[in-house]
Amino acid sequence: MTQSSRRKFLGLGLTMTAVGLFGKNNKNEIIADNAQFAPPMIAFPQKKPLKTISDRPPLLESPRDLFTQTITPNDQFFVRWHMPDIPTFIDLSTFKLQVKGNVNTPLSLSLDDLKSKFEPVEITSVLQCGGNSRSFYTSPTHGVQWGHGAMGCAIWRGVRLKDLLNKAGVKESSTWIGVNGLEKPALDVTPKFVREIPIDEALKDNIIVAYSMNGEDLPYLNGFPLRLVIPGHFSDSWVKMLSEITVLNKYKNTFFMDVAYTVPNNDCECIVPGSDVEYKRKPIAEMKVKSVIGYPTPNTVIKKGSKVLVQGVAFDEGHGIKEVMISLDKGKTWVATKLESDSGKYSFRKWVYEWPAKTKGDFTIMVRAINRIGRIQPMADEIGWNAGGYQYNAVDSVNVKIV
Amino acid sequence: MRKIILFAITFMAITLNAQIEKPIEMPYYDYPMVQKDHYETVAQYCLICHSFGYILNQGKRSRPYWTGTVKKMVDEFKAPIPKEEQQVIINYLVKYYGDDK
Repeated sequence: MTQSSRRKFLGLGLTMTAVGLFGKNNKNEIIADNAQFAPPMIAFPQKKPLKTISDRPPLLESPRDLFTQTITPNDQFFVRWHMPDIPTFIDLSTFKLQVKGNVNTPLSLSLDDLKSKFEPVEITSVLQCGGNSRSFYTSPTHGVQWGHGAMGCAIWRGVRLKDLLNKAGVKESSTWIGVNGLEKPALDVTPKFVREIPIDEALKDNIIVAYSMNGEDLPYLNGFPLRLVIPGHFSDSWVKMLSEITVLNKYKNTFFMDVAYTVPNNDCECIVPGSDVEYKRKPIAEMKVKSVIGYPTPNTVIKKGSKVLVQGVAFDEGHGIKEVMISLDKGKTWVATKLESDSGKYSFRKWVYEWPAKTKGDFTIMVRAINRIGRIQPMADEIGWNAGGYQYNAVDSVNVKIV
Repeated sequence: MRKIILFAITFMAITLNAQIEKPIEMPYYDYPMVQKDHYETVAQYCLICHSFGYILNQGKRSRPYWTGTVKKMVDEFKAPIPKEEQQVIINYLVKYYGDDK
């Protein structure tokens, strides 16, 4: 068997396993049905084997069963890069973060400068890709067809962006900052991955330039040595391998601000599924209240008489979770789950519900979170659609069998 | 005793930073893309920027979808694909990864 046919054979094996696991007529198993290809599990540097949707640029998805924990371990934290050329080595003796543009004193800071010359701060925050869970939209969308595994929650340590900007001295006329990292496109003509943040937001207390994640250096693929952390916001502006902060006196039009990561600029941030009419767009920003079931995972078989500890995580844009409700009768009745200890308003909040598996049969477990300002998750058949498949936050459901 | 502690600390520091002392090696995966007529054209252009994983991840899609996607690669990401080859790529994607819509 040649190398290439062996690879194909392995690929087929994986697909067949997926069909075997998920069954053919399970209409709730949208990921398997939609993608029709089960990506390989590959261990990238500093990572355990993760679902590898792409190796270049790396797109690695975390498994659903991690979402029984408040903190997502670094070696299983999801990975998403936009550009194929990621430096494979950072020399810390020469690496510098530049703070420049419309400032009084441009700065060029080493990692040691950041660690020694600025006050360290720490925040526990969810990091979620804007396209997380988009494969659950029933009408197809553009973009990487993630399951729920393009999110995680970590303890980030670093310095306040505000402190860096104040040290450089932002000029009065400043309106935006541009941020970019070291990833590069294959071609010079491809737009660079640059993001822009309004200056008043950039000067808020809680945005940090992080050099540590869960007590360790950032893993290489999560942005070593520095990444921006914007608690409560989708991760499109959490730039990895952050190298430049440019203060601007004028917004610059860029592909990654004006086209990518945008939703319709109307109240529901949605359009009729499948329509491709031109509409006014706005960038995605604050996250939407959401909960995900970590256990049981889809198609788990449970022995009758067991006490099932249904559990998962919930989060929102930073108001905090008020309640997570569970339904075992397809949404007819809901009861409260137990919320575990609170690790901060931007963190995953773990919830647990003890379910005695009394009756044999097929069951659908559904969970629905509500935050402290009364925002509640939409039902799956009520969620507004957008072509990019962003901000999916409908009620999660998992089918299990009691035997 | 102090020497031992010092040694332990140095050793730990080396272990913790071991992965960044030299370039990381990124794994490669041969995504099982259908290889039929015109495969070379598809590979030549798509693989400049991304793996075939991006395509397989989409599953079966409509002709307008694949047409729009190739157009996005050209218009937004500036993929240098001549007009004629764009059509070859679209037809290939529709033929092997189309949903008949």
